Amino acid sequence: MMINLIKHMRRFEGWFGAAAGVCIIIGLYMGLVASPPDYYQGEVVRIMYVHVPFAKTSLLGYTVLFLGSLWYLWKRDPIIDNMCHAAAGVSVFFTAGALITGSIWAKPTWNTWWTWDARLVSFTILLLILIGYLMLRTFIEDKEKEARFAAIFAIVGFVDLPIVYFSVEWWRTLHQPLSISPRGLSISGAMLIPLILMAVGFSLLFFYMLMVRTQMLYLEELREAKKGRLLSRAYL
Amino acid sequence: MKWLYIRWGGILLAGLIITLLGVQHYRQEVTTISPEQILQEQQTGTVRVLGTVQAGSLSSTDGESASAFQARFRLSGEREGLSVLYTGERPDNLRELKSLVVVGQWNPSTQVFESHGIQLLPNYGYVVAAYLIVMIPMGLFLFRMERKVELLYTEIKIAKVYEPEGVAFDKG
Repeated sequence: MMINLIKHMRRFEGWFGAAAGVCIIIGLYMGLVASPPDYYQGEVVRIMYVHVPFAKTSLLGYTVLFLGSLWYLWKRDPIIDNMCHAAAGVSVFFTAGALITGSIWAKPTWNTWWTWDARLVSFTILLLILIGYLMLRTFIEDKEKEARFAAIFAIVGFVDLPIVYFSVEWWRTLHQPLSISPRGLSISGAMLIPLILMAVGFSLLFFYMLMVRTQMLYLEELREAKKGRLLSRAYL
Repeated sequence: MKWLYIRWGGILLAGLIITLLGVQHYRQEVTTISPEQILQEQQTGTVRVLGTVQAGSLSSTDGESASAFQARFRLSGEREGLSVLYTGERPDNLRELKSLVVVGQWNPSTQVFESHGIQLLPNYGYVVAAYLIVMIPMGLFLFRMERKVELLYTEIKIAKVYEPEGVAFDKG
């Protein structure tokens, strides 16, 4: 049993939460007040400081889910499976957040809430894969079977991640290409610093939420097991 | 459990303070009036007028120094337009059919709006919507999760029926 994992999460989660809070508060101040408006878009560019970190964090979340699924198939430990389940739940939140903020940003800049763009579609597919993952888990009765099927589903779904990431390079899209890429930076320093702070902050927050949710799922299962034991005692 | 509520109270308070500071900071930049309002009320103080640069009305001359650029154009509202004389640095966004905020004073004697600043549309609504729509659910999601974990730890600790291998549930 990876019970130490839960113990460590209980012990170190606070540091992640506090660090995330500090990064996000400083990032919010710099992004919303100290940084300059974009010369062409004006103030709406400030949506970037929440949209880009959310999108990056959802990709990070799915990567954690993918690696966790591989780890589960290797070790077959229910606590690792709890972690995968938690990663999917938190990633759904971040993916939906990235889509919604992107939609709000698209209205004033592209003059539409939604368009069938390669980046947008592949990202929505990521959200659907995550929802499908969570639904699949509710359909299967047997715990071990549920974990195994879900892990395989997550590993297969990982194909979408490079498509999301490189879609702006592979196809001509309305969504802008990568601002931070091997070709260099195409973003001013005054905007880059709050963006990095927010990205780091939300990544830390993701790990914090992952830890809390893993414990939640683990404890729920523990309680169920306990109830089962109580019942069996009552009827013995 | 008590610390959970204290911590979240602090977070809520910090959020409120940041929101109030933000409102304070941007209140001046959000309020704009229309060209019709200027013509009707003949206001003379410094105001911010939101309108569209009328097609074919823009003419500009470069001055000798960088800050002596001059532009004349008509800023149209929904029904009526306003003659604007802009003096200052060459703006990035001044072109025909562009919606802009023009900062300056109305001169009732010459019937010209004398401007010294040109800004983009104050579309703060989108920014506020984007931040609130993710921050509020995030807070609720996280609060519910943390609360549930605390409750479950307490429940399992109190019941004491099931003790997993070598783990003490006594932190927090």
